Amino acid sequence: MSARVILVTGGNGGLGQAIARSFLDESADNQIWLGVRANRSKADALAAEFAGRCHCVELEVTQPESWKSAVSRILAQSRRLDVLVNNAGSHQDSLLANMTPGAWQQVLAINLDSVFHGCQAVLPTMIGQRHGRIVNIASLSALLAPMGQTNYAAAKAGVVALTQSLAKEVARIGITVNAVCPGYVETEALARMDAEERKAAAGRIPMRRFGKPEEVAAAVRFLACAKASYITGSTLKVDGGIL
Amino acid sequence: MHDVSDLKHRIKNMMVENLMLQVSVAEIDDDQALFGPGSLGLDSVDALQLVVALDKNFGLKVPDPAAAKVILQNVNTIAAAVQRHQTGGESRS
Repeated sequence: MSARVILVTGGNGGLGQAIARSFLDESADNQIWLGVRANRSKADALAAEFAGRCHCVELEVTQPESWKSAVSRILAQSRRLDVLVNNAGSHQDSLLANMTPGAWQQVLAINLDSVFHGCQAVLPTMIGQRHGRIVNIASLSALLAPMGQTNYAAAKAGVVALTQSLAKEVARIGITVNAVCPGYVETEALARMDAEERKAAAGRIPMRRFGKPEEVAAAVRFLACAKASYITGSTLKVDGGIL
Repeated sequence: MHDVSDLKHRIKNMMVENLMLQVSVAEIDDDQALFGPGSLGLDSVDALQLVVALDKNFGLKVPDPAAAKVILQNVNTIAAAVQRHQTGGESRS
């Protein structure tokens, strides 16, 4: 496995950390960049643990200028960019009747606009290399939209559609674009559920357990690997068999 | 004059390699349209690749679609833009 340069957004979150660790395990030569904002203690800790191989870069994913600056910094140090994992996201759940326009716009910006800006920022580099892997973290909510998540489900469905469309645009250039749809995974979002909600959620999963971040990370790593070269525009569910 | 024909040859070579064209460098005329009916048959994805390749190979930035429409008409127009850039006449964005 040759050395690769990988950018993972949402690098301070549980899933981002697991994805980064997966790529760090893949090859001792891989260079991992974690896109982070003000809340970055876990990302800093991972960068310290893998000094010289894992780095943090300031990145406000909703801002094109921030993307430009982050990609420039990565290229200045690592000279190339092979993989982008658009992982940053958040949700503000409520019934649509009660949802503020701000909650709608913010969730669309963080979950969908960010993917647009990220892809646009890395494409010139990947086109120049005639090689690249983009993996977008969508959600099971994109395919099976639950009540209370009109904003999040719409954003993640948009990510799936963007993935399919962009995959067609860049297929001939050697760039693949795929989406991963995690179901219920043991991350910060799940930790916020109370016991009753967790029990109800687990009851909907045929495997009768929540996923581990490492299990989602394995899917990301597969879609980003050299052997997945003929897979593009696909949506890979990692959900314990819900759908 | 020798420089210009050498530049056009490099541009054609770049096009054939980057766009994986099924024609040889010798088969591309200097004034042959790149897009549209009766052209070389390039499409918008090819244009995107050309923009990146021009930046990478010649340092020529094509800042927006309007500029691309002017510059990417044929090999002659591309060569002229590269020459303007190399002599300082093309602004870099």
